[in-house]
Amino acid sequence: MDDALLGLMALSDPYLLLLLVFATLGGVLIGALPGLNATTGVALLLPFTITMQPIPAIAVLTTIYCAATFAGAITAILINTPGTSASATTCLDGYPMAQRGEAGRALGMAAVSSTIGGIISVICLMLAAPMLSRAAYYFAPPEYFALTLFGLSMLASVGEGTPVKNIISGAFGVLLATVGIDLLTSIDRFTFGFNELSEGIGFVPVMIGVFGISELLVQAGQLDIVRKQVIMKKIKLPSKADYKKVWKTILRSSGIGTFIGILPAEGATVASMIGYNEAKRWSKTPEDFGKGAIEGIAGSEAANNAATGGAMVPTLALGIPGSPTAAVILAGMMVHGLRPGPTMFTEQAEFAFAIFWSMMLVNILFFFIGLYGAKFFARITFIPTQILWPVVFIFSIVGAYALDQSMFDVWIAVGFGFIGFMMRRHGYSVVPMAIGLILGGMLETRFGQSMVMLDEQWWMMVTRPLTAFFLILTALALFGPMVWSKLFTQRDPMKSSGE
Amino acid sequence: MNKLSMNDKSRWLVPLLICIFCALTYWQTTQFETVPEILKRGTQPSDFPQMVLVLIAALAMLILFKDRPKPMMKLEPKVLKTMGLLVGFTLLAEIDLFLGLGIFAASLSYLWGEKRIIALLFAGVVVPILIFFFFDFIFEIRFPKGILTNIWYG
Repeated sequence: MDDALLGLMALSDPYLLLLLVFATLGGVLIGALPGLNATTGVALLLPFTITMQPIPAIAVLTTIYCAATFAGAITAILINTPGTSASATTCLDGYPMAQRGEAGRALGMAAVSSTIGGIISVICLMLAAPMLSRAAYYFAPPEYFALTLFGLSMLASVGEGTPVKNIISGAFGVLLATVGIDLLTSIDRFTFGFNELSEGIGFVPVMIGVFGISELLVQAGQLDIVRKQVIMKKIKLPSKADYKKVWKTILRSSGIGTFIGILPAEGATVASMIGYNEAKRWSKTPEDFGKGAIEGIAGSEAANNAATGGAMVPTLALGIPGSPTAAVILAGMMVHGLRPGPTMFTEQAEFAFAIFWSMMLVNILFFFIGLYGAKFFARITFIPTQILWPVVFIFSIVGAYALDQSMFDVWIAVGFGFIGFMMRRHGYSVVPMAIGLILGGMLETRFGQSMVMLDEQWWMMVTRPLTAFFLILTALALFGPMVWSKLFTQRDPMKSSGE
Repeated sequence: MNKLSMNDKSRWLVPLLICIFCALTYWQTTQFETVPEILKRGTQPSDFPQMVLVLIAALAMLILFKDRPKPMMKLEPKVLKTMGLLVGFTLLAEIDLFLGLGIFAASLSYLWGEKRIIALLFAGVVVPILIFFFFDFIFEIRFPKGILTNIWYG
């Protein structure tokens, strides 16, 4: 309780409050700009936090995460272009509503359900993260190894690639994490004579490359996309009848979003899809979905914002990112010398609770900013691509340089921009690679420690109940969907007959 | 407009390239120094990368045999030209980082269809200068010396 109060006290600093207001504005702006999303935004702005103290720095990053996730709905509703992939399902009903002159009502519902979803998930985060970390306090290296492996196995289902391609991408990230001096033996690996590689490949330049610079190349191929904005009348909050219709949907989607967010690597996009589907399944009028059903917006938006809080649970309590953006925030914590994991709630509890409170605050802030600034942010999306992306590139490069003041990091960022673009072009999502890079070091260290502990008899891991449990979960995450789809295909007479 | 093509070549070329990369990297791991048995703490430095490489190669083989050819967008000329500009940036940045950034930003803007001089000057001159001074004053970042940055640093 004292820690929660101390965390709240930390937020009473006027400088930090002002910073959070600006970060919310920045996050909403990033989320509203098509092509930029929460992950890219956090990766690009991470270097700007280098001179800050850890609390303001990480609070700014989580604020951008929450605000950008919400803001994707603005463009989804007004121009039928989701600002972030998590808002793709919001387009389905938001844009039809806007077309029939109800843009204000749709935006109002998006803001209300996002705020409620976000606040519910932060409350869950405040309760669940310390409990989870207390349980994890008793984990030994084999349990940690199995848990990290489970986190990595969840990468099979993230991003736009197929499961096999996602695992290749994740494994490539793990391989990249082995570059530099081996911590257990102090022997150089893959440094090729470059001193800059002795400490490994930096997270930040790689993130800037694969999320920022590769997106610039993607945008180069999409210059002919024309966006049309729907004229928006006065914004109005949802009516009592609307609330009556959607309150169950909001609560259900908030629960779904929080749960999906807690699962390692699963983020807001998956949450919004499931939230939307469940809203449709439970609706009394499922036929209205896709034609402008207000429940559709509530189901999608409550879930994707709830996922942000949920994603921070494993990130802070176990050091395993709950979503791609949480992975970049995790990298930010490491850059600031923090050690997310079970010890965080005993050694840095004030920091953890300050982050929780800042997330709570941003959920209230973006409600007002989103509602009253929606018209302005919708106009911002019309900044010409040919001006926006050169500016984003300059920020990317200067950001990559600024962290260690090294031109080597600039080359890394540009190189990974090319690698990221080619990976995406061939169906290999860059998200698993980024998470693999962050978790790779931990995975190898825990594996090495487990080998020492088990006297090099790795098969002894399965004799430890918790390790075996995580290994079974890993196997289920990897092979479950494959087996399930095979069984399902065999039993589906329509598919088997080729119709 | 992007054109779709059934690019059957990339179906086997990419997994094959991955396998070649794995083979070369695996060989590289065999060149790592080893730790004497008595000092070894669980694993040799090459053990873990080798396990990861075997996994990647095995999965690439799986793709080679299981993956179906999918229609693929042909690379737009503008994408190729943007890549060319990026290479140009890396060369110019060796002379001066901000010279490279300014020329890249203005050229990219022009390549993507911006013809207004004011807009080109904004992207290529105003923004780099603002960002330079922002990082210099606020974050006290010292950028690498070059033709332009020396004017400020002396």
